[in-house]
Amino acid sequence: MSAKEVTIVVDGREVSAVEGEMLHDAARKGDVEIPVFCYEPKLGEPVGACRMCLVEIEGIPKLQTSCSTPVRDGMVVHTRTEQVKHAQNAVVEFLLVNHPLDCPVCDKGGECPLQDITMGWGPGKSRVIDEKRHFQKPIELSPLVAIDRERCILCYRCVRFSQEVSEDSQLQLLDRGDRTFVGTFDDRPYVAPFHGNITDICPVGALTSYTYRFRARPWDIEQAGSVCTLCPSQCNVSFTVRDEKVKRVITRDNHDVDDGWLCDRGRYGFEMFEAEERIAGPRLKGGAEVEWDEAIAAAAAGLRAAGGEVAAIVGDASNEEGYLVGRLLREGLGSNDVDSRQSRGFSRAAVVRLAQPDLTIKVREIDDADVILVAGTDPLHSSPILDLRVRKAIRRNGARLVVATERPTALDGGAEAIARYAPGGATHFLSELAAAVGGAENVASPLAESLRGAEKVVVIWGERIAREGDGAATALLDLADACGVAGAEGAGLLEVPDVTNARGLREAGCLPDAGPGLGAELAGGRSTEQIRAGLISGEIKSLLLFGADPLRDFPDTPAWEEALTAADHIVCFSMHENATTAKADVVFPLETHAEKDGTVTHPDGRLQRVRPSASRPGIVQSNIVILSLLAETLDLSTGIDSQPTAFAALTEAVPFYSSITEEKIGGQGIRWQETEAASTIPTPDGGALSSEPTTSATGEGLALGTYRDLWAGPITELNPPLQFLTPQQRLEISPADAARLDLKQGDVVRVGQNGSSVEAHVLIKERMSEGTVFLAEGVQGGNANALLNGGPVWVEIQKLSGVDA
Amino acid sequence: MSDGDGNGFDPKSASYLDSIEVIEVQRGPNPGGVGGAYRAFGETLRGLKTTMARLIEGPLTIEYPEEKTPVYPRFRGRHKLHKFEDSGLEKCVGCSLCAAACPADCIRVVAAENIPGDRVSAGERYAAVYEINLSRCIFCGYCEIACPFDAITMGHDYEMADYDRGDLIFTKEMLLAEPIERTPLKSEGE
Ligand code: SF4
Ligand code: SF4
Ligand code: SF4
Ligand code: SF4
Ligand code: FES
Repeated sequence: MSAKEVTIVVDGREVSAVEGEMLHDAARKGDVEIPVFCYEPKLGEPVGACRMCLVEIEGIPKLQTSCSTPVRDGMVVHTRTEQVKHAQNAVVEFLLVNHPLDCPVCDKGGECPLQDITMGWGPGKSRVIDEKRHFQKPIELSPLVAIDRERCILCYRCVRFSQEVSEDSQLQLLDRGDRTFVGTFDDRPYVAPFHGNITDICPVGALTSYTYRFRARPWDIEQAGSVCTLCPSQCNVSFTVRDEKVKRVITRDNHDVDDGWLCDRGRYGFEMFEAEERIAGPRLKGGAEVEWDEAIAAAAAGLRAAGGEVAAIVGDASNEEGYLVGRLLREGLGSNDVDSRQSRGFSRAAVVRLAQPDLTIKVREIDDADVILVAGTDPLHSSPILDLRVRKAIRRNGARLVVATERPTALDGGAEAIARYAPGGATHFLSELAAAVGGAENVASPLAESLRGAEKVVVIWGERIAREGDGAATALLDLADACGVAGAEGAGLLEVPDVTNARGLREAGCLPDAGPGLGAELAGGRSTEQIRAGLISGEIKSLLLFGADPLRDFPDTPAWEEALTAADHIVCFSMHENATTAKADVVFPLETHAEKDGTVTHPDGRLQRVRPSASRPGIVQSNIVILSLLAETLDLSTGIDSQPTAFAALTEAVPFYSSITEEKIGGQGIRWQETEAASTIPTPDGGALSSEPTTSATGEGLALGTYRDLWAGPITELNPPLQFLTPQQRLEISPADAARLDLKQGDVVRVGQNGSSVEAHVLIKERMSEGTVFLAEGVQGGNANALLNGGPVWVEIQKLSGVDA
Repeated sequence: MSDGDGNGFDPKSASYLDSIEVIEVQRGPNPGGVGGAYRAFGETLRGLKTTMARLIEGPLTIEYPEEKTPVYPRFRGRHKLHKFEDSGLEKCVGCSLCAAACPADCIRVVAAENIPGDRVSAGERYAAVYEINLSRCIFCGYCEIACPFDAITMGHDYEMADYDRGDLIFTKEMLLAEPIERTPLKSEGE
């Protein structure tokens, strides 16, 4: 669908525009700036609320709002006539009637559209001598955002965001006339996972972040573009840096990645860069701080002493770091035991199949999907920005949504059909669904109805289903086949991985059975679960952990506890102190995504660059440098001593990255699927994927499912402003089960399995399937990982104390 | 290059070379002799005449530092930060506008939020850090002009020499303190 080109005349200049485009945008192409307040294309349809953008169009007697007037061929527009100027002056004057003009104390001062427009298009003088309206100066809109209602110009932007983008519908315009103000029902705090965006879009200083309040002025700061690596969404951010420290995180619009939004995790999760728990230099066991050479020597000695019985697990790392760890293990220490997954994952054969370019969809293509299937993941918790993307597709383009998950998701409300399968039942359900789309009658038929016949089917699937083994990949591929996504325009799969750079690490060689570039099958490598078993049995003596915290994030905490205790020597790269670093013999500090230089790969194949923006604390060094020094000490000369050399080595080792350069990555990243070298991805070998039969075992008690909560982990524990969001362990249970067990909302229960147990508060939830309960992973005090053991788990529930009825 | 406007000329052109006249340069007499003696004494006496004539006017130099030249009221010396006389609150709200205006980039402001009950300034914010690096300041007075609250003004003190550059970074406390007025003001009509 190529839109028609039209030509319009703006202030005497001929401008070619696309039919249907708004006049304001077309004028900008001709370098004519029309001031706007309420217009923000990210928010969807223009509303024409502020009247700042009035222009004169020949043939129309009244002035028109250029933000909501689509261009027509031959339109002749004037933006600087007396009539327009008069209108602009009048609008600015009206806006300022009640605006306090307290710029010197206003946080927006210096980067405020109202200031700019008043200077550029305003009358320059006020005729108002009356008292302005008064509200109590800043009040808490949420624990993170302050609202100064006097300054609000009622442009609706924040309200539209809340109603139409994040769809939490909490913000409202209350009261009438000049008493109108933005607020929430009953003055409740506006707590929602994306609410920080309103501080970015408010064109005045009415909405400001407490974390940035009065920290700096635009001329005190530098903006440093980077990528958020707190989750797989890899949103593009811009760090506001003053005195070499991050003071604020704002969005850096990239419609191919984040659509110009950020979640509150990425926006407010920067104070942990300077938390007390931050590791600021290498340490030995017991916390003794040492110099770099001593630490590197100690790490190398320990790794060498294991005599090849070494394993490495990579977690939060850039492609280059993952690549280096892989080489260190394979070439330096002669071991193939490298993995980057928290639990069981797909085999190389399955990974290669799913990585085929014609199967993967671009994030942007979600916008135009006909049907979106969310399978085995809740984007809100695992990749928040995707949640907004799906909502946008539904709201603006009429996409239909079907959800197939174990646990109720945040997207359920907009779904046309929902299916709940038992924890661990994804393989079974997805293969049923594939069959149902093909015409069979089964449990998945209601969902299949929505998928059948649809052209652009997008499947957003969670890496979690890979814990069920290759069978899940087969089911997923069958489903993709049944929906005809391969090669179809605008149709495909998108993975939601468990860790931020999962795809990049797999492609950089952090898999037990494949080296960089997913090349030929490697034999003998142990996966994460096997590494754990190897440590316990003593077959593996030494462990290298890079940005991974098994004691918090990996299933089966007791086994990991045992494995880490059994290990002779542990080298751990970590950003913060945690239970795992306490067990390590040598601890190296990790850089944060504000300090690191490296590339990461988005689940849709986009390579993006994380750029150093702030100074590193203490004596923290580039991880690339440390890894190559470590390699050198182990007599492996990698030829890598900096990010550029590491990047060059990576692109050489991964054939399908080979035509990517740092220039091509630029500010917006580039998908490797769209480069010439894309065809060098290994082709899947014809044979069927080996798949163990999916366990259809049943057990006593309630089936336990787990999920990773958006707010679980260091993000809330180490960021003081986010502490109020720290999740409590809650046992999610269906109303029927709760009634049967005589449990009430808020009761404290002990959830036990085979000797391990965690305490939780009962949360009765609708839309849960009976017989299943859910606990959160990674929360402090009662981490559900303690109950998992790699297979289906059934739990006993014991009531400890009840809330008084 | 010779064009019609009459201004350009070409040094190599025949007409130019023809027009050259050789002029003899006049030189002074050779040293020594009567002329030399006249130059040594006559001219010296001529200069001394001026000296003698001024001698009776009395000295014009000032015995600095015991004595100081009075400055004009708008003289731009070392800065002062001000407080409200009635409430004692600082006038500066830490808006950083002075820092933006400063061409020498020598003002550093770090603002913070006022805590109700323990206010520092009258507005929502105040300057938690306010520093002027006087070794860089060019005393242009832009900061004074930029300040929306007349919180900073240029004082009259210009005696700021010190032994250490670091001591020339004036902190908020130093700028708020009443400076020792060492410099007299010019009186009306002076
Ligand atoms: S608070 Fe800001 S974004 Fe919201 S309506 Fe007022 S001016 Fe617009
Ligand atoms: S969605 Fe993810 S990548 Fe984006 S800002 Fe939030 S945490 Fe960062
Ligand atoms: S007088 Fe001029 S140079 Fe000195 S601090 Fe003020 S603005 Fe800066
Ligand atoms: S001295 Fe004036 S201009 Fe400078 S920060 Fe204070 S109030 Fe603002
Ligand atoms: S920008 Fe057009 S009406 Fe507000």
